[in-house]
Amino acid sequence: MNQTSLQDLRDEELVALCQSGQGQVFEVLVRRYMEKAFRIALDFTHDAEEAKDLSQDAFLRAFSRIKQFDGRSTFYTWFYRLVVNLCLDYTRRKGRVVWERLEGESDGGIEPARLTDASSSPDQEAMAGETKRRVDLTLEAMPKKQKTAFLLRNHQGLSISDIAKVMKTTEGTVRVYLHRAVAALRQSLVEFV
Amino acid sequence: MNQGKYTLENACKEFEADLVLYYYGDDSEADHLRVERHCGECERCRRFLEDLQNLLPRMAVPQELPETFWDRYYNEMVEKLALQRERRSWWQNLFTPIRIWALPAFGTAVVAALALFLVFGRAEHKAVPPQIPQEILTDSNSLEFFNSMDLLESLGTLEKNDGPRTEMVRHT
Repeated sequence: MNQTSLQDLRDEELVALCQSGQGQVFEVLVRRYMEKAFRIALDFTHDAEEAKDLSQDAFLRAFSRIKQFDGRSTFYTWFYRLVVNLCLDYTRRKGRVVWERLEGESDGGIEPARLTDASSSPDQEAMAGETKRRVDLTLEAMPKKQKTAFLLRNHQGLSISDIAKVMKTTEGTVRVYLHRAVAALRQSLVEFV
Repeated sequence: MNQGKYTLENACKEFEADLVLYYYGDDSEADHLRVERHCGECERCRRFLEDLQNLLPRMAVPQELPETFWDRYYNEMVEKLALQRERRSWWQNLFTPIRIWALPAFGTAVVAALALFLVFGRAEHKAVPPQIPQEILTDSNSLEFFNSMDLLESLGTLEKNDGPRTEMVRHT
């Protein structure tokens, strides 16, 4: 089967091919999820190189455990769980990520996220910079589960039910995490103005 | 909300969580309608929702990465996967034939080791010379007597083993 026709296959079909010994098929899953995996890792690490290493480790781990995937969840929630767990391990190992890294030189040619338009005035840019700094500090200070729920919902666009599967918790709990995260962010910004 | 000023207005406490879920579209249809109705009447909650709509998407602005970054990422990943497949097949090749004969071979080795221990272990045990008791060692007379007894015992053993020949010598 050539690469083009493989790309038309669903995740579960690709996984089945991998499980039957066609390991190279996994590369299609890499192509499909590399950006999402990288972006989750970047949300947690704020460092492009670390994010690349973590997300690539997640792919390698998924590949080595592909035979254990039993299809009870979708491939992407199973894979997201691997990425998130690696990211949480990383934050446990490293402690809090220093927000200043976002403000300084860009890592690996990646510009830091901005809260302003390109047409913003210097004042607006300064305000946005301060807002961003507060948002990042609040995110770093947040309990890990709240932060994970928020990042997966707000940055990755996962549904509440998928987040619940990734975090192995109930949808109700995810809703609470999400609300508390937004409330904490709101609080940090209310104090600012 | 003004450009550059990303504050969130206070909402009614009992609607705050519902407003967050409303923003993400994660609420039920009934809650969705309830929030919409409430926002029609409540200025604070409407502003809170507007602020959410302004702030939250900005926080998640995806950073555009050059195509070369993704090409490099993918190529690195393909190399790492190939390495892992190679390593795995090497281990599989090594272990698969071993697994077939490892168990009987291990069993045979254990039985052989046990047999060797039983044979040579006992022989060594027999070969150990008798220990002379401490009370005999301290007394020189007793030690001499003990040695002569030992000698006599050895002679007796020799005679017994050499019985027929001794008989023949005596006969002649």
